[in-house]
Amino acid sequence: MQTTHPGPSREPISLSFPRIIPRPKSEYGIWSWISTVDHKRIGTLYAVTSFFWFLVGGIEALLMRVQLSQADSTLIDPEMFNQLFTMHGTTMVFLVVMPLSAAFFNWLVPLQIGARDVAFPRLNALSFWIFLFGSLFLNFSWLIGDAPNGGWFGYAPNSHVAFNPTNGMNFWVIGLNILGVASIAAGLNFIVTILNMRAPGMSLTKMPVFTWMTFVTSVLIVLALPVLTVALIQLQVDRLYGTHFYNTAAGGDPVLWQHVFWLFGHPEVYILILPAMGIVSEILPVFSRKPLFGYSFLVFAGVAIGFMGWFVWSHHMFTVGLGPAANSAFAISTMAIAIPTGIKIFNWIGTMWGGSIRFSSAMLFAISFIAMFTIGGLSGVMHAAVPSDAQQQDTYFVVAHFHYVLFGGAIMAIFGGIYFWWPKATGYMLSEKLGVINWLIMLIGFNLQFAPQHWLGLDGMPRRIFTYAENMGWENTNMIASAGGFLMAFSVLLFMINVVYSARKRVPAGDDPWDGRTLEWSISSPPPHYNFEKIPNVEHRDDFWFTKHPELIAEYYHDEHSGELTAPSGAQFDEDAAEEEDEHADAHAEEHHGDDEHGHGGIHLPDMSYYPIILAAGLTIVGAGLMTAIPVIIIGTIVLLWGLLGWSFEPVNDPVPDSH
Amino acid sequence: MQNWLTSSKLTKLALPVLALAATLFIAACSPEHPQSTFGYAGPVARDQGNLFILIFWIAVAVFIIVEGGIIYIAFRYRRRDDKIPKQVHGNTKLEITWTVIPSLVVAAIAVPTIIGIWEQQRGAPTDMGDVLEVEAIGHRWWFEFRYPNQEIVTANELHVPTGRPVNVKLSSQDVIHSFWVPKLAGKVDMVPLNDNLVWFIADEPGIYDGQCAEFCGIAHAHMRFRVIAHEEDGFQEWVAGMRTPPEPFEAGSAEAQGELLFATNCKTCHTNDSWRQDAYSLEIQQQESRWNTWLDDIENSRLVSAPNLTHYSQRNFLGAGIKENSRENLIKWITDPDSIKIGTAMQAHAAAYQEREDNKINLSNQEVENIADYLLALEPGDISQLVAPAITGGTPEERGEQLFISIGCNACHSLDADTTIVGPSLIGIAGRAGTRTSLSADEYLRQSINDPGAFIVDGFTNAMVVPKIPPNQVDDLIAYITTLE
Repeated sequence: MQTTHPGPSREPISLSFPRIIPRPKSEYGIWSWISTVDHKRIGTLYAVTSFFWFLVGGIEALLMRVQLSQADSTLIDPEMFNQLFTMHGTTMVFLVVMPLSAAFFNWLVPLQIGARDVAFPRLNALSFWIFLFGSLFLNFSWLIGDAPNGGWFGYAPNSHVAFNPTNGMNFWVIGLNILGVASIAAGLNFIVTILNMRAPGMSLTKMPVFTWMTFVTSVLIVLALPVLTVALIQLQVDRLYGTHFYNTAAGGDPVLWQHVFWLFGHPEVYILILPAMGIVSEILPVFSRKPLFGYSFLVFAGVAIGFMGWFVWSHHMFTVGLGPAANSAFAISTMAIAIPTGIKIFNWIGTMWGGSIRFSSAMLFAISFIAMFTIGGLSGVMHAAVPSDAQQQDTYFVVAHFHYVLFGGAIMAIFGGIYFWWPKATGYMLSEKLGVINWLIMLIGFNLQFAPQHWLGLDGMPRRIFTYAENMGWENTNMIASAGGFLMAFSVLLFMINVVYSARKRVPAGDDPWDGRTLEWSISSPPPHYNFEKIPNVEHRDDFWFTKHPELIAEYYHDEHSGELTAPSGAQFDEDAAEEEDEHADAHAEEHHGDDEHGHGGIHLPDMSYYPIILAAGLTIVGAGLMTAIPVIIIGTIVLLWGLLGWSFEPVNDPVPDSH
Repeated sequence: MQNWLTSSKLTKLALPVLALAATLFIAACSPEHPQSTFGYAGPVARDQGNLFILIFWIAVAVFIIVEGGIIYIAFRYRRRDDKIPKQVHGNTKLEITWTVIPSLVVAAIAVPTIIGIWEQQRGAPTDMGDVLEVEAIGHRWWFEFRYPNQEIVTANELHVPTGRPVNVKLSSQDVIHSFWVPKLAGKVDMVPLNDNLVWFIADEPGIYDGQCAEFCGIAHAHMRFRVIAHEEDGFQEWVAGMRTPPEPFEAGSAEAQGELLFATNCKTCHTNDSWRQDAYSLEIQQQESRWNTWLDDIENSRLVSAPNLTHYSQRNFLGAGIKENSRENLIKWITDPDSIKIGTAMQAHAAAYQEREDNKINLSNQEVENIADYLLALEPGDISQLVAPAITGGTPEERGEQLFISIGCNACHSLDADTTIVGPSLIGIAGRAGTRTSLSADEYLRQSINDPGAFIVDGFTNAMVVPKIPPNQVDDLIAYITTLE
């Protein structure tokens, strides 16, 4: 999709950049994937890559569980253990949940808003390639036996070179900064896509909730990741060039690191969970056959969480000694953020109320999300009580808490999302029978592993210890938790079996296997390259559902008390008003599509490009050079500039003979 | 199919509950839970635990309502036919209700939370007995404890009296650590350049397990310590002992040989004579300079911060609380520290370990045994050899007061006119002393301190043990005692 509007009287730019390699044209094979700018293919690349890292992070977790299943175990040495938990956390946050969410953003946002691609397709490809190379860079440290070992929040001064002289933390700071570029670019891309590329009639208040949550998440990414970048660069120059930001021997302040890290780190938590909330908000209505209960409350709560998420960072630091005033303020803000979270939970339950619930595997995962996320939320409120948190901070209670949020929450919802949209993406069904077993075993394994960890924390077991003495009384409980971990691993194995089994069986899905409600179900499965043959005109929330069931429209807008037809709070019943409200975006979108289609006599999509992967490679080589030698930086810079300039002078579409 | 799925929904609720119940059951059967946050041994941990339990029950109520609601609704509204349910889009009143109710619940939790924050961060209460001031310094990977008023330095085992508030000033020499004794008080971090305070009271005598709770590097799991709570007189005895030199060893004995070996191989980093008069300030300086030396040349430094080993035989554990302090373990520790605790600075830096390829100690087994025997023989000698700490600065009365406490006069002489501990109360002594003999009050007191048997007050026997106190410090002591009204 073209992003610039060639003015009618503008002279063509005559500058050009020498083309070293010809523009990719192949639509099949590996080169077509490397040069793709199609949001669906990029989504698939994200999904496959991050699922691979999910397995890696899972194996890291299992190794730790094996080590901890017995007291005084010597199976894994302490240095290895520290590397395992550092990389498990870093992997699951930056290489699994974030990019898996990105896979959903990529696949779904254009489909849900009736667009043919994202706003900046090549930038989208760049995000993926930087993510891929950054993740490989980070994990390359394993191969040289020097993986990061300072914990996923890399507290200074323990991460400082005086206390941590190996290369591990260098991989960590540089790797995360590379990944940050990918996230920020993707965040900007989705903000612009969602604001500018919605189909005519789709005002913000008619947008599917998943797209809404993607929007909030993208804003958070764009605002939060730069904060991390600042912290990482400070640590990097401390480590590599001897500055004193966090060098306590020279008066550097270790508490500053915590503030900066968590100022990123807490919004990051919502970056991880909001997409999951969006996914669940799509699944529940479909399998309850009811509209989402309290759409505007739910959306508003999501926005509120995204906003309030900026004012709670110090609840990670209640034992640091910030003083009673700061601790009180952050205790209150942390408790306050439970309110919009509670609203969401009640609205989801309200969606099921009065519905006609079908227990598909996607729905089971979505319901489990609510159930497990509630537990994580309750233990979160416990942490907000500063005095009692002094006993729980940095113990297994906290480990249990955030796994209930991030596994019971985010990962459960993502698995639900995979079962839900798999037929749309591939055109065939996943086995429902295997799916239900997958769900059940995952739920049992998960609770078996993490419920007992609450107790371990209350019984005084600190996190991040590679072993413990026998008389501590933690052994049996740890053994149960480890068994649960293996059960979870087995459930993931079942999922993979399901994928292979279903791929062989290939039960066709049809366009709309679940009686869906949003636009993606209105097109074929898998969707054509161009998504929508004709850009749809949106009149209602759940527009596709009401296209299928026009007789329900009146019921949807009916107000029980007044007996009149009214708009649900926040929504616009009046079509004209809706369009007026969002006049700008709509007008823009229409003009835009018009351009494309008139200009090329039909559907028009951007051409493929090699420059994103070249630029990403250059960036990664520069990163590697920072750790090795200046010539490597120079080579990386040359590659980077090649990618950048080549990209800048490459038209979105090569001239087509019959155009203009 | 429908029924089967419905029952699996029940499993979903039952599961976490069962898992928790099973864990609690198993946990209850285990003999020891030395770090249980519910094993309150003092008011601070008790208050924290009570707040947790209050919130826990509120959470249980919410849990039952929400999870019960999910299961009930899932069961009640399961798909029975192909009818499309009513397309309800929401209910503003209902939604406002479930916004307001959680707000109220959260507000109810916030009140005791805020009260608790201010109460516990105010520092040790002054109305619950004399506050014992202690400094705890985190090192990779052990705890140093200093008693500034008693001029005692020790490591990994913090001795405190029961029933009195202990105010611990927390700091760190290297990275962030955390001071946590679950049965006594929740953790507070030990942050370099940012001192913190934690206070607690131990209700009963006992040994309380503590552990570093902030990831601090390779031996984080092995950074443990104990708080040893004594009855008041037991604590005063420990204090006096720490200021009393051990008996000299018989020439030619294993211990005497060990002493020599210790002096040449260990003593540059491990002080073991903090009973000396000026040892306290010296130890602080030396620890600082060992640290700076290490920082200046991390690779090659032969000096590292190291635990003070005064009266080592009194220690219950070695290696920062990870192994019982037995002869066998000690020999193993001296020979190859990393075989017990990973990453010791001793093995990485001390000269005695750098001379061998395998980084084990460059001493014969016999020599190692001698050192172990020497360390295990280090204990307070005759209490009459007690050395008063050198106290400088302040007025004579202030110095005298500090001395009075640090050499343990207050263990026997009450500062309350109506209380007799062992010796007579010293309240109003300035008035009485001058009337008892022909001597002036000052002279009477001087004589009594230098020769406790000189004058015996009726109804008392001479049980007084007096340390060696230089004349100028006796003056300070008298200056203080005569101010007691």
